[in-house]
This record gives sequence, C-alpha cells and structure tokens, in this order.
Amino acid sequence: MLRTRKNRYRELISMQNFPISADKSPNTVLEVITRLRVRDAMARKIHTARKTDTMRKIQLIMKANKISGVPITEEGRLVGMVSVDDILSAFDQGYIGEAADEHMTRKLVVLEDDMPLSFAISYFNKYPYHRFPVIDRERRLVGVISSRDVLTSLIRELDKEIQDLESRLEDESSRNESFIHREYIVKKFDFENAGHASYEIKKLLKEKMMPPKIVRRASVACYELEINVAIHSVGGRILFDLDDRQISITALDDGPGIEDVNQVLQEGYSTANEWIRTLGFGAGMGLPNTRRVSDDFDIRSKVGAGTLVRSVIRLDAPETAPEEGRKP
Amino acid sequence: MNDSITIDRIVLDLDCCTIHRGQKSTVSSVIASGLMSDVLTTDREEILLVSNLSTSQVVRTADMVNASAILVTNGKPIMGDTSDLARELDITLLTTELPLFEACCELGKIVTGN
Repeated sequence: MLRTRKNRYRELISMQNFPISADKSPNTVLEVITRLRVRDAMARKIHTARKTDTMRKIQLIMKANKISGVPITEEGRLVGMVSVDDILSAFDQGYIGEAADEHMTRKLVVLEDDMPLSFAISYFNKYPYHRFPVIDRERRLVGVISSRDVLTSLIRELDKEIQDLESRLEDESSRNESFIHREYIVKKFDFENAGHASYEIKKLLKEKMMPPKIVRRASVACYELEINVAIHSVGGRILFDLDDRQISITALDDGPGIEDVNQVLQEGYSTANEWIRTLGFGAGMGLPNTRRVSDDFDIRSKVGAGTLVRSVIRLDAPETAPEEGRKP
Repeated sequence: MNDSITIDRIVLDLDCCTIHRGQKSTVSSVIASGLMSDVLTTDREEILLVSNLSTSQVVRTADMVNASAILVTNGKPIMGDTSDLARELDITLLTTELPLFEACCELGKIVTGN
C-alpha cells in the first residue's frame, strides 16, 4: 500500500504524542487543564538573543543554559526562534558566524499566556515541537512552555485537587445520606456537547423518582445555564447538588464576567452575536428563563473574574412551582 | 388543541421524511419556534416541536421538554450529530420540504379538522 508523506508525518507526530489528551481525559484532569492558564505553567526565565547575534553566540547560550531553543526578540517582541536543528544546519553549511536574522525560523507557533492549559496540550499533540514561546496580548514574549512544564504544573495541581477531595469526603460523610453531588465541564462554543450535563441530571432525577414537574424545571434551568456558559464565558462548570430538601444547580465560569447583572435578567437583553442566534440561542431569555423555573435564584459576577449563577428548586413545595409564562 | 394527532398523519399530510421514529406515536400540542429558549418556557406535554433549525441543540431542547417529535422544516439537511442524538434520546425526527409557515398551516388543518 502506498503511504503518502502526509500520513507518515501524522504517524511521526502520533509517536511523539503527549501523554495527556485535551479532550478525552478523566474529568478531574479536564477540569484542571481548563482552569489552569498557560501562564501558570510556563517558565518565566527566558534566555533570548537578538537577530544581530551570531548563530555561534546563540549556540553558546544554548550550551550554557542547557536549552534547545532560543527566542529572538526585538524590543521585547518575539520575531523568531533558533533551534538546535538551525544550529546544526549552520555548522553543516558553514554560516555559524553569521547573524541569526537570516537563518532563524520566522514562522512561529506561539501560545498566549491567558489561554487555558488545554490549548497547550492540544498544541503538543498537534505540532512536532517540544516547546512553544508564550506571548501576552501586546505580543510581548513573556515565557516559554515545554511539555515538562505542563506535566509539572499538572501534577502539582492534581495533588492539591486530591487533598481538596479528601477533605470534602470527610465533610460529606457527616452530611445527609441522600446527598448527591455532580460536576460537569462546559467548554466555550462546544455546542455539540452543551446539554450533556442537563441530560445526565434529568436521567438521575428520573431514577430518583422525582415528580415530572420538578425534573422538567431542573432540566430547563440546567440546560439554559449550560448554554449560557458555552456562549458567553471562556468555559466553566455546572455543579449539581441534591439532598432531601432541594436541588441546587450552580454555573461557574472563569470570565469575562458581567458588568450589570440587572440588565442580563431583563428578557430580550443579549450580547450574543448573529452566529449564536442562528443556532437558536442568544435572544436574551436564558437567565430570565432560569429564574422563572427556580424557587431561589442568585447571580454574582465580577468583570475580569467570572460569574456564578445558582438556581435552587425546592422539593418540599412542588405545588408552589412557577407556572407557565410567569414573569420573574 | 384537545385531541392527540398521530405522527403517521403528520408524516402523510406534510410529506415528511422520517429520520428516526421514536416510541411515542402521538402529539397533543404543537410549538413552532426558531428560538430554543422560547420552547423551554412551555409546560405542555406530548409536544411536536416544529423548527427551521436542524442543530443537535434542537434535539436537546426537545428532550428537556419531553417532546414526542421534532419536525424540521424548509428541507434543512440533518447532520449526523443531530440524527444520532435523536436516536440516542429516542425522539421522532421528521423533515419536510415545506417552509415553516406552510408547515404550520398544514398542521393547523390537521388540528382543526379542516
């Protein structure tokens, strides 16, 4: 069978695959790599060179600092990269004494410091590079991230997560027996999977033989919140808690936050773009709808930090269920 | 709408193509909308959801309100993820070449018996 160059290239990349998938990892790992930013894992101490520096000088920087790639900067901005391969070619073709300007790699794949760590992981899986320069919004070079940096930060964070879980388990064992807690990750613009949490929650409530009206209200609240997180935030989580008194659904995201929460509770107010509207959402009904089906509703937000929306449906008073079309 | 209408009748009168046939065989109310949040405000049961959208979120929305069936109008093509989800959630998924308004007119005839 004939194998194309592209296929071989793919094979080569898959051989170097990063041991973690940005899509199909255990929930805790996915949650951590969505929460952590590239800046949390990157190395901030960077050894750079200027484009007027010779390839030899850059080779000496590599040797002295035991690194295999040197970013080339101009007034703090990244303009190129010289790798060990470039140095080898320079030796081979006899231009090791020439300036980096002519020989550096200019087509760069970079990461931004506020991207989720999951982006970095998918880059390691997509490109055959071992490290990526990290730039900020002004395109200034602020760090370099290697696969080792990603793994180190991940292990550190998972260790914290385990400690949290252990302390939470101790708390829960002292609580009511019927307590159920679930967490779901919602990714930005992931409309293929948005609704998955609501589906799971609906199934669980049905299994618990909850009254159909309660199931419906909880499903609607959860679904609207899930869609909201997918449309408006950088990504977040849906937390579900059930005890013998109430269902609580909390949507948490990491930004961008809402300036005026009263405005978003008005029916018809929306910041969604035309594309979102073509999908059947973004008409400014999500949060008012959630409030309508809730017995208690709470929204807190801080611009630049994130938003928390909590919908509570009480189990002890189903006859007080809000009616169809009731305005908040 | 007081009486139920059968999904078979809808398929016949609106010349529908059946993408998936779920267990429920009748509908007792019709909601037509291109806005999923509007659909989510309803308290009705045994719904036929009529929409000119064909994304998988239409199926998710139908599931949240326990809809019996979905009718996609304007001959909108159904993508694989939409039909897969309808099968998974066992919600009848029909398509018709009729535009949204004409589809509603035909459904109106069935409902009122004219």
